[in-house]
Amino acid sequence: MPDPAKKTIELRILRYQPGVDAAPSFGTFEVAGAENMSVLEALQTIKDTLDGSLSFRWSCRMAVCGSCGMMINGEPKLACSTFLRDLPPGPVTVEPLNNFPIERDLVISVGGFVKKIESIYPYIMPKEPKTVEQGPYRQTPAQLAAYESFSDCINCMLCYAACPQFGENPDFIGPGAMALLQRYNGDSRDAGRQKRLDTIHGENGVWSCTAVGICSEVCPKSVDPANAVNQNKTNSAFDFFLRFLRKE
Amino acid sequence: MNESRPYRRPAPKDWWAKAPYRAYTVREMSGLAVAGYGAVLFAGLYSLSQGPESWAAYVRFLQSPVSLLLHAALLAAVLYHVKTWFQILPKTMPKLILGRAPVAQRTITRVATIFAGACSLALVLITLGVAR
Ligand code: SF4
Ligand code: FES
Repeated sequence: MPDPAKKTIELRILRYQPGVDAAPSFGTFEVAGAENMSVLEALQTIKDTLDGSLSFRWSCRMAVCGSCGMMINGEPKLACSTFLRDLPPGPVTVEPLNNFPIERDLVISVGGFVKKIESIYPYIMPKEPKTVEQGPYRQTPAQLAAYESFSDCINCMLCYAACPQFGENPDFIGPGAMALLQRYNGDSRDAGRQKRLDTIHGENGVWSCTAVGICSEVCPKSVDPANAVNQNKTNSAFDFFLRFLRKE
Repeated sequence: MNESRPYRRPAPKDWWAKAPYRAYTVREMSGLAVAGYGAVLFAGLYSLSQGPESWAAYVRFLQSPVSLLLHAALLAAVLYHVKTWFQILPKTMPKLILGRAPVAQRTITRVATIFAGACSLALVLITLGVAR
C-alpha cells in the first residue's frame, strides 16, 4: 500500500508579478506528502521549499480572519479550510479571487471593498448616547437573533468572487458590505438606519443585484448575504416613496 | 521595488451559461412562460372584443394540438418558476423571529408554497363549480 503521507499532489497556480509579467500565467508545483494538507499548507510548503517568491495572504489558519480567500478549482474558497484530500484527484487549480484586480500572484486589491465597508457606517449609532454610569444597552435574545447571522461575516470577499453583477460593475456595493449594513440596521440598539439606506439607493447600491444567489452558497460562515441585499431592495423602494412624507 | 500594477482579468461574458449560474438563468427564463400565459389570455380577451367569429377561432386554436403542446410546455415552465420563486421568497424578507430564533428559510418556503397551492386549487374548484 502506498504511504498516504508520501502522496504527491500537483498544484497549478496563477502567477503574476507586477512590472515583470504583462499578464498572469500558470505555474505548476509538485507538493510531496500533501495528502493531509490544507491548500494553505500546500502553498506555505511551496513558499518554504520550492519558490520563495510565491505571494498569498493568510493569518489565522482557522477560517476566522478572512484573508486566505482564493479560487480553488474554480470555486471561491478559504484556502485554510479547504483540504486537498477532499478535492477530486488530479491537479488542483489555484487562482486569485475572481472579479478583483490582481496585485501579485494570489493577492488581490482589497481597497475598493474596504471603502464600501466604510461607506455604510459600520458601527452602532445609538439614538441617545449613554454614559457608562447609565449602564449597558440591553437586548433580548430575539433582538439578537434578528441580526446575529450577519455579524458572523469575516470579510473574506468570497461572495464578491461569486457575484457576476459585481464582475460587471465593480462599484456595486455587493453582498459582503450589505451583510454588514444589515448587521447594524437590524440591531435594536442602533438608530442609523436612515443614513445607511441613503448610501444604497441606485445602480451601485442594492439595485445591481438580480438575485443570482450564489454569494450565499459560497459564504463560509452561512451569513446569507443574499438575504441582506434582497430585503434591502424592499427597504430602498419604500424609502424612495416614503421620503416625501418623512419629516426630518 | 514597490510597484502596484494591478492586473484586471476580463470578466467572462458567458457566465450565465455556466454552472453554478445556469440554474439562475433557467429560473429567470422560466419567467417568460408567465408572460406567455398572459399573452394567450390577452389574445382571448382581444378576440372576444372582436365578435363571435373571432372568439370561435380563438377557441378552435385552443383546441388544436399545437396549443395543447404549447400549454403543456408553459405549464411546466410556470410550475418551475413558482417553485423557484418561493425558494427565493425568504431571501427577500427580514428574518422572521419566532420566540428566540429565526424561522428556517426552508419552512417559510414550504408554508408559502402549500398556501399558494391551496389557493390555486380552491380557485380551480370554484371555477369548475361555477362552470357547472
Ligand atoms: S458574507 Fe460570507 S462570503 Fe461574504 S465576506 Fe462575509 S463571510 Fe465572506
Ligand atoms: S487564514 Fe484566516 S481565514 Fe484562512
